[in-house]
Amino acid sequence: MTKEELISYIQENFSGKVELIENDMPEPYFLIEPKAIVAFSRFIHDDNKLIMHFLMNLSGVDTKENMEVVYNVCSYRLKHRLFFKTVLPHEKAEVDTVKEIWAVADWHEREAWELFGINFNGHPNLTRFLLPDDWDQGHPLRKDWVGRDVIPFPEGK
Amino acid sequence: MGVNDKLPVHAEQSPGGGIITTELNKIFTLTQAKSLWYLLFGTACCAIELMATGASRYDFDRLGMIFRASPRQSDLMIVAGTITYKMAPVVKRLYDQMAEPRYVLAMGGCAIGGGPFHYDSYSVLQGVDKIIPVDVFVPGCPPRPEALLQGCLEVGKKLRTQKIDDWRVR
Ligand code: SF4
Repeated sequence: MTKEELISYIQENFSGKVELIENDMPEPYFLIEPKAIVAFSRFIHDDNKLIMHFLMNLSGVDTKENMEVVYNVCSYRLKHRLFFKTVLPHEKAEVDTVKEIWAVADWHEREAWELFGINFNGHPNLTRFLLPDDWDQGHPLRKDWVGRDVIPFPEGK
Repeated sequence: MGVNDKLPVHAEQSPGGGIITTELNKIFTLTQAKSLWYLLFGTACCAIELMATGASRYDFDRLGMIFRASPRQSDLMIVAGTITYKMAPVVKRLYDQMAEPRYVLAMGGCAIGGGPFHYDSYSVLQGVDKIIPVDVFVPGCPPRPEALLQGCLEVGKKLRTQKIDDWRVR
């Protein structure tokens, strides 16, 4: 499907809960409520006209105001792609896991949890993944994070 | 006369070159400097340059340098690439597993002092000399193969000034 077809198809079948983010990319980009993430993922994965069987990437983002989780999915069979994201508050960054839909989300969610402190409810194994096993300094990719051994970039350079 | 010419000057050469008398120290370090086997080990982009140096265009082999896939058989560890905090214990263990005499060459900015990851980094060790002793530093990002070759020759030079008695015996 082309970008326009994808947009109208998804807005028809999932009305009210999705919000289109205008962009210049060749793929549609949607903003979804945190509560609807699992339902939306299930829909695009199972729907016969979308068949998004492949989660290309799942990443956390810290925008200072909010935390975000961005999902990139594609369909090998129908050769189209779709991006969507959800916005979470800083203090309580929580969203349901999509591990049951795309198994690859397991590691991606562990990474987002470890580096950003985003909790994925229902994930069975949110444990240390990329950082050293004895790491005790929190979630380093958060904007407000201050590390113990970090050498700050010199002012004015 | 072949090998006789290359021996240290105080080697006594017998007529015809059949028998030589020399110092054990000299012959040992000389042969070792000519067969520095290095540990096949790279952690980031510098390892690509290490591979290029090992391949036919620059040809490590002509210095007698052959990679070994086991620390037990290596004399030289070329730390090629970024060492993260997670990798640091592994590097330390590899170094501990090497037999004496052993040498370390830190290749590239990352192994010397964090390189591009010196500032604002939560995960990169700021220089491999924090965990293991380093003999030669080769700067660059990445160093060119010529620089690495020169670094290895420097290791050979350093090696030839050492005494067998200095080697630690465990
Ligand atoms: S010094 Fe440069 S080339 Fe070498 S590992 Fe670091 S970033 Fe890569």
